[in-house]
Amino acid sequence: MSGGRRFPWSPVFVVLGLAVAIAAPHVFTGLAAQHLLVIIAINVILVASLDLLVGGAGMISLGHAAFMGVGAYASAILVRGGASFPLGLLAAFGFAALAGLVVGVPALRLKGHYFSVVTFITGIIATILMTNLVSLTRGPMGLPGIPFASIEFLGIDHTFRSIVFKVGFYYLALAFAVLTLLVRWRLGRSRFGRALAAIKGDENLAESVGIATYRTKVTAFVLAAAIAGVAGSLYAHYVVAIDYGHFDPLYGTFLIWVMLMLGGSGNNRGAVLGALLVWAIWTGASFAVDALRPTLAAISPDLPQRGPYVRFLLISLLMLFIVLYRPRGVLPEEKVVSLTRD
Amino acid sequence: MDTVLQLVLNALHTSSLYALVALGLTLILGVLDIADFAQGALYMVGAYVAYFATAHLGISFFLAIPLAMLVASLFSITNYVAVYRPLRRFSGATTFIAALGLLLILQNLALMVFGAEYRLVRNPFPGMRIAIGGATWTGYQAFLAGSMVVLVTAVWLFLKRSPLGKSLRAVSQNRGGALVVGIDPFRVEMTAFALAGALAGAAGTLASAVNAFDPHIAATVVIKAFAIVIFGGMGSVPGAIVGALIVGLAENLTGGLISTQYAELTAFVLMVVVLLVRPRGLFGEQEAKL
Repeated sequence: MSGGRRFPWSPVFVVLGLAVAIAAPHVFTGLAAQHLLVIIAINVILVASLDLLVGGAGMISLGHAAFMGVGAYASAILVRGGASFPLGLLAAFGFAALAGLVVGVPALRLKGHYFSVVTFITGIIATILMTNLVSLTRGPMGLPGIPFASIEFLGIDHTFRSIVFKVGFYYLALAFAVLTLLVRWRLGRSRFGRALAAIKGDENLAESVGIATYRTKVTAFVLAAAIAGVAGSLYAHYVVAIDYGHFDPLYGTFLIWVMLMLGGSGNNRGAVLGALLVWAIWTGASFAVDALRPTLAAISPDLPQRGPYVRFLLISLLMLFIVLYRPRGVLPEEKVVSLTRD
Repeated sequence: MDTVLQLVLNALHTSSLYALVALGLTLILGVLDIADFAQGALYMVGAYVAYFATAHLGISFFLAIPLAMLVASLFSITNYVAVYRPLRRFSGATTFIAALGLLLILQNLALMVFGAEYRLVRNPFPGMRIAIGGATWTGYQAFLAGSMVVLVTAVWLFLKRSPLGKSLRAVSQNRGGALVVGIDPFRVEMTAFALAGALAGAAGTLASAVNAFDPHIAATVVIKAFAIVIFGGMGSVPGAIVGALIVGLAENLTGGLISTQYAELTAFVLMVVVLLVRPRGLFGEQEAKL
């Protein structure tokens, strides 16, 4: 291309962003703030994995949180049974990938609404199974007492007692978040990523130029599921007690979608920004509801204990405003013309 | 044998409720290609209207039905005008998320205002029993199944006979062609939403006297109705009805003969199995339309 070279802002942003992310837990030293940082890091992984499907290939998957759930349960059950945390993490990756395969193979034979509604429903099936397989998941009672994440590496033996000491675990989650963003970024520029982009543009055209569209889509779906599984494992060993409620398509998946749509799909900055904004708003709403407690109580004595509903109402309204007034998110996708070969 | 007959009779009322919601979803899918999850919330609206009209305002249950249909229909039209119509130019993801957003807004609003206590409308036919073979049908179950037949027939006649119904079918079969011959898409789409809302509202009202409900019913119902729509064949009216009959039957048989725990899975399992064998559903043709 002719014209003046523009200053390459991206590397600067990446370095700055990383510096901020690394410094953050030392600036915000309160437990609540550090908790928020951990949750944001884990959610960046989730959003980036969903964006691999949505921004990457235009696949509207509505059951993504279920794969996080599969990973969380797989890892929690194994590690509770005595396996090491890295093994649990690996199992989370593997089982979530397997679940992705089981759902993706039939679902991806369908297109458009069919695919989306089927992913939504498989997400529901997953939560029903999580509730009913009581011998495995303890069903509605939830799975408590999940061991802390613990790694042995080059003679260093470290257990992340993440209830009180959040900084170490934050860096662990941050490492995985950065790794995910790196994978997402690299994939976008690979032959595989361009095949996905072609499918997003026009699936028939992609097929006709020789892209194995079905296989490419299944691969992306399985990979996204596996990454969500890793996020699930991290989450399980961070909060150390899980139940099916977090992985429901209506709540879990919807929140991931809010982050994705708010940030803007198709780029990594959107994923980070979305996770940050939504969790800031989510936490803010909780404070707002707390602060409004006396007012709510004055309106009706029942209202204060219904705080969670108020919070979810706010986040759904936010979502509706985003799709109506900023349908491409705060940081919309950029048209990328790739001239590289590999 | 009597147990099976009883389960089949029970199934008929479950099926009727599903059929009404699934029919509404099908109408909207036909004219606007939107998966309107918010229809579940209109079912919930219908149930609450019936509850407050009968328990607090002292209105007769039979008057509460048209009232609930009207209110749900107004909600449906509002959703269309305020959200779906402005979004019609955008891709599937936006409308999907908007629909889920609407469902969650209405559901959480209801949870906030009414709380999560279960409610039940008083049965308008207490103590009435109809013996069929070795099994019995309660009067209300018969009323419910009868109402479904009346409503579905009314919609069917509307689609086949009335000019507006015909233009609705025209838009769903060939949108471009319908616009060329001067059909107003706004009017047609609004009609589809009004009808769907009324059907969902009716289903919610009818259900409110047999199934105890709380606001979470909104999501539960619409998800099952979607499974039925996919199972029957997206966009096919007979598919929605037959799908609802089969799913209701399978659910009651599973619940009665195997385990109630897994009954709620039946609809979803059927859907997955059918999709594996016939990716377009039972009645789904290449161009399945109203």
